[in-house]
Amino acid sequence: MPVNLILKPKLHKKYLYRCLQCIPSHFASYDTTRLVLAFFAISGLDLLKDLDSLKKQQKIIDWIYSLQVVDNKELVSGFQGSTTLNTIENRNRSAPYKWCHIAGTYTALCTLLILGDDLNRVNKEAIASSLKVLQLPNGVFCASKDGSESDMRFIYCAACISYIIDDWSGVDIEKATDYILKSLTYEFGFAQAPQLEAHGGSTYCAIASLALMGKLSALSEIQRKNIIRWLLNRQKDGFQGRPNKPVDTCYSFWVGAALKILDVFDFVDFDQNKTYVLSTQDNLYGGLSKWVDTTSDPLHTYMGLSGLSLMKYDELEEVNPLLNISQRAYAHLKSLHMKWRLRL
Amino acid sequence: MSDSSDEEISQQKWVLYKDRPDWKDVEPIPQDDGEEPVVTIAYSKEFTDVYDYFRGILKTQEKSERALQLTKDAANLNPANYTVWQYRRDIIKALKKDLREELEYIRQTIRKHSKNYQVWHHRKVLVEWLNDGSEELEFTKSILETDDKNYHAWQHRQWAMKTFNLYEGELEYVDSLLQTDIRNNSAWNQRYFVVNNTTGFNDAVLSREIDYTLSKINIVKENESAWNYLRGLLLHDKEGLSKNQKVVKFCEDLYNSGNRSAFLLALLVDMCDEEISQGSGDVLLVRQKGIALCKELASNYDTIRCKYWEYMASTLEKKGTETDDTCTSSTGN
Ligand SMILES: [Zn+2]
Repeated sequence: MPVNLILKPKLHKKYLYRCLQCIPSHFASYDTTRLVLAFFAISGLDLLKDLDSLKKQQKIIDWIYSLQVVDNKELVSGFQGSTTLNTIENRNRSAPYKWCHIAGTYTALCTLLILGDDLNRVNKEAIASSLKVLQLPNGVFCASKDGSESDMRFIYCAACISYIIDDWSGVDIEKATDYILKSLTYEFGFAQAPQLEAHGGSTYCAIASLALMGKLSALSEIQRKNIIRWLLNRQKDGFQGRPNKPVDTCYSFWVGAALKILDVFDFVDFDQNKTYVLSTQDNLYGGLSKWVDTTSDPLHTYMGLSGLSLMKYDELEEVNPLLNISQRAYAHLKSLHMKWRLRL
Repeated sequence: MSDSSDEEISQQKWVLYKDRPDWKDVEPIPQDDGEEPVVTIAYSKEFTDVYDYFRGILKTQEKSERALQLTKDAANLNPANYTVWQYRRDIIKALKKDLREELEYIRQTIRKHSKNYQVWHHRKVLVEWLNDGSEELEFTKSILETDDKNYHAWQHRQWAMKTFNLYEGELEYVDSLLQTDIRNNSAWNQRYFVVNNTTGFNDAVLSREIDYTLSKINIVKENESAWNYLRGLLLHDKEGLSKNQKVVKFCEDLYNSGNRSAFLLALLVDMCDEEISQGSGDVLLVRQKGIALCKELASNYDTIRCKYWEYMASTLEKKGTETDDTCTSSTGN
């Protein structure tokens, strides 16, 4: 294998540490989703088996908890994606427009799990009752109480959140399942919403959500068979998100994980998949990007690593395809569930 | 029309809010990022200034002309800030602002940030408030001219079409897109959307669409989008995948002419599979044919999926010899 097609864990660790510390001002459009960036960096370091060298884990945990909102009146409890609206005055208190964002809650819970937190400071009941407000009559979820679009991504977030807090009272599973099935297209991929175009990202969200909700059986044998075909056809060398679109590193995770959940990941051509993902690696500064010879970014760095990890890589911790965290962090969650259930 | 209003902030004449006399009465409120923040952004001083004042008016809930202007600057610095857009809408409502003017503003903003969720959502809300979708087809068309697979644009377009019943002329539009790029999967999907929501797939329409698709496959054989659409059409054939004589003949002719497109072979495999399931025809012969096709795919024409096609061959081998008709292994979780 050519030397630049060998995974460079050290470089990626450096890259992710840099992301975790400080990013330049032209990243201002990430300002509302800093937590998601933190998740990419921390989960990435976890996959690279380098979490122990992460200093100040407790400080990071505290920063994440500073994003938690508990507001049982407005029903906007959960985690914000960033501290943009946090002020000294409203610290740890609710305030106008200080609302949770569903992706913030999902990534906060995942990151806390990765860092070994026991989620004791998470107000699970408040989260479940606020989640309920975000589900629309047709079963789909919005991201926040007002002013948000709704689509498959947020069903996935809602499913992950409910799974993690081990409380499904915030989700009408039947309605969500119905919406997911209605978003299955004639191509047998899932779209972000009914009748839209099938897409690798939304197909991952749909399949993972069904699995988390225990509803994979809602797919008929014929549907399942055709979905697998559609997913497998996304592989060109790496994976693309839609037919006739260029391949992109992140789909090695989205499509790969969907195949893994459906128990047919072994049909993937590992060598070609690896070669593509590694060809998007920046051999100088670290990180991965969506295409060859483009600039690395945190999302594609993380998705590239988790995509590689699906293929069981020596240097990488194995990733859990449902929650997109390491199996190590997933095992920690399972032990928490055991404790919570015994206490009842 | 100029789309350059976003450059204002980088211009030298930019005056920080803290230095503006008409903002003297507002208390700027700094962000509380805690003692040990992570993923710190090196905010520009303009960014910090604008957002200090944004937090200021959010606290007092000021809904005024100047607050409206402030949300514009805040959105300009970070168009992904959904709170800014939400607050902007709340001001627009409170001041009963001209929604047409806002529509024009968001048109320009979407042109600059056509893959940003928040700006599309803003437009959708405005169109809902106006209860007028008459500009949406032209608008989304203009976005699709620069990126004909932009998912947001298609989503908005379908929403407007469904909400305001705007299907007229869409099939022609889709056709023109496919003439430009026969592989445009978004356009194929839109074709399905239009037919599904207008005439539906009755026999006449089905026949017309099959002709259309076969003619497109004749132009480019190696086009997954067209093959997928063809399969989608056959979902509406009550007889199933393998009984449409036009399609069967087309596929056989294509195969006999020497074409070995993986999409063609895969469809032929599925036809065999269905025939075996239905027990129609000479099962033994059909099975042999199906297995041979799978092997061709695995070893020559779709080698990247060779493990899959070998597996398919083995399921066909077993098929019909047992009562059970499972094709994939157990559930994932
Ligand atoms: Zn990507």
